[in-house]
Amino acid sequence: MNPLHSNLTPARHWKDIPQEVSHRAMSSEGRRRAVFAIAKTAGLMVTLAALGWGGLQLVAVFRDDPKDLSRAVRSAPLKDLVLTTDGTLDQAWLARALALPKDAPLMALDLFQLRTRLLACGQVRSATLTRNFPSTLAVTVAERPPVARLQVQGSAGTPQAYFVGRDGVVFEGINPDPKMVETLPWLSGVKLMRQGGVFQPLAGMDVVADLLARAKLEAEHLYAGWRSVSLARLQSDGEIEVTTKDGSRIVFGTNEDFFRQLANLDAIVDAAKEHPEHVVRDINLTVGGQVPVAFNPAAAEPAPAAEPGPAPSKTPLFTGFNHP
Amino acid sequence: MSSRSTFIGAVEIGTSKTTALVGEYNGRELAIIGHGECTSRGVIKGAVVDYKAASECTHGALEQAERDAGERIELVFLAQTGAHLEGFYNEASVNVKAADNMIDAADIRTVSDLAKAKELPAGRMVVHHIRRPFRVDGRLVPGTPENLVGQRLDVGYWTVHGQEQRLADNIHVIRGFNLEVRELVLASLASGHMVTTPEDRQHGVLAIDIGAGTTDFVLYRDGSPHTTGVVPVGGSHLTNDLSIGLRLTEGQAEKLKLRFGRASVQARDKADKVWLDGNFSIGDRQFPRHAIEQITAARAWELLDVVRRKLGNAFSAETCAAGVVLTGGTAKLAGLAETAAKVFGVPAHLGETPSWVAENLRDPGNNTALGLLYYGVSAHNERAASTRRRGGFISNVKRLFASA
Repeated sequence: MNPLHSNLTPARHWKDIPQEVSHRAMSSEGRRRAVFAIAKTAGLMVTLAALGWGGLQLVAVFRDDPKDLSRAVRSAPLKDLVLTTDGTLDQAWLARALALPKDAPLMALDLFQLRTRLLACGQVRSATLTRNFPSTLAVTVAERPPVARLQVQGSAGTPQAYFVGRDGVVFEGINPDPKMVETLPWLSGVKLMRQGGVFQPLAGMDVVADLLARAKLEAEHLYAGWRSVSLARLQSDGEIEVTTKDGSRIVFGTNEDFFRQLANLDAIVDAAKEHPEHVVRDINLTVGGQVPVAFNPAAAEPAPAAEPGPAPSKTPLFTGFNHP
Repeated sequence: MSSRSTFIGAVEIGTSKTTALVGEYNGRELAIIGHGECTSRGVIKGAVVDYKAASECTHGALEQAERDAGERIELVFLAQTGAHLEGFYNEASVNVKAADNMIDAADIRTVSDLAKAKELPAGRMVVHHIRRPFRVDGRLVPGTPENLVGQRLDVGYWTVHGQEQRLADNIHVIRGFNLEVRELVLASLASGHMVTTPEDRQHGVLAIDIGAGTTDFVLYRDGSPHTTGVVPVGGSHLTNDLSIGLRLTEGQAEKLKLRFGRASVQARDKADKVWLDGNFSIGDRQFPRHAIEQITAARAWELLDVVRRKLGNAFSAETCAAGVVLTGGTAKLAGLAETAAKVFGVPAHLGETPSWVAENLRDPGNNTALGLLYYGVSAHNERAASTRRRGGFISNVKRLFASA
């Protein structure tokens, strides 16, 4: 650029005159037009702002598109397995049960298939699997509480303890609490059927579970002495036979109220304690108000009947616990 | 160019009347769609002396024009006249920088800026820089000299400047209506553009716009305006002389001027008399026609002679082959063309409004407002194009480096 040219200062032009005029210098029509112009500008700005906001919303919609999300996450490998359970299952079991390949992408996991794998474990009553982006698989498990134990002959010929749930499902206990296990009675008189590598559920276990639960709740001192529960005559006679740790046999009827039967049993046991010379062998609670109690032959004298019966019997009737 | 129409207002705040036109411009064509007019108040010899009265009158004309058009005016081209307007000529020359002597845009810009760079007295502002044709080594170039080969580039500008307060007053009257004044155009340029053809301007023509308070003139040479000027004398002076000479009120004198005034004395019979009203009502009087013509003719001659003297050496019969074109409200004075021809020594005629202008607007008094629209649009487009040319990315970067 010419140095002379760069030093030129152009003369003031009429366009340098400020065109702003004070409000009072305007006519009423001019003021009206000014207000209209301001309103128009404001409207335009509001419209532009609304358009901008709409654009941002659109961008947000496209940005959060589930398809894009899955595409983005598909390549992210699974890093964490989080187990939430109400029982004893642990992380190691979860890893074994799911058997996921290393660095499996989170989005590539077939959750339905994984759930099936988890449910294949008898201890699992229900399972929920959730993808937590970007790299976590959360597993929530509800475990099947065991109500009884079962001795099963293993494939190697060695006996193995299994557990039975309320719904009759037989399962191998994983990380069972030994104290809890000790309280569980053994189950006997059942015929196990294996299908597809797993045992078929036992029929009638819900009734047995009711009895055991009622006993545990109402008469824990009695329940603590129960060693085994036989289901041999459950289907045919509706009877559940309990063998105590001292060898006594107690028969419960499924047609009678368990609470009443337990009350009768408790009374009989209490009465029997008053006669330590008499050792109870059988108590049959299935016949209602009449409870036949048999004592061991070793006992010298039969227990006196609470109410004189019509005829003496080898198995004296214990009838003092008639409940309405 | 956008296809959206722009509604442009052309406003002439004159001494006797204020005219507002509304033009619809779609980027290619300009159509006049509204017209408003009102008797001026608060304006003397083109200068606003009573802001409120002038505003009321101007805003009334604008409202009327908007109503007529059914559209709102978006921007205004304002005509500027008044005795405060003056002009001077300044020229500059540069040596062509390029080694091959080819003139480039930078040479043109430099010589133009040099020619326009002249300090003005305090309180004066530029209204127009009217460029005269470029000369390359003394050779006249009607268009742009870019890419022509030469060693020396000359250009001259006729700069019109006015008093800042007067200009601001006119602008503020329009701003009072909340409208932006986009172009300020000399009344003479506006009316001259309307009543002369490009051929006339090429051959040389003098356009004289005789209004009520002022007379604006523009002399064209080589297709572009050469000299402009304003004389603070107009039709109202004829009225005033009649009023004094015949002892009449201004209204009566105006009536006589319009009916019997002439720019040359034609009446031979000095006893020939004319009635003031002609309806024989009380107060109606008779006046000698000869006396009326003598007064108006003397004043008309004087007015034109003032213009000729003000033009000075710029005007000559040889350089004004197309003659003199008269326009403005006072141009309707009978015999004015003949008088002008005698004063200037070249043919003279009354400017004709182009045939495409609507019948109701075909009056010499409207030529300034009409020309304002057309001249304003072309000037505005020219400036916009020049800004676009200058605003190119490369040139901006070059300017940035140059200033650094």
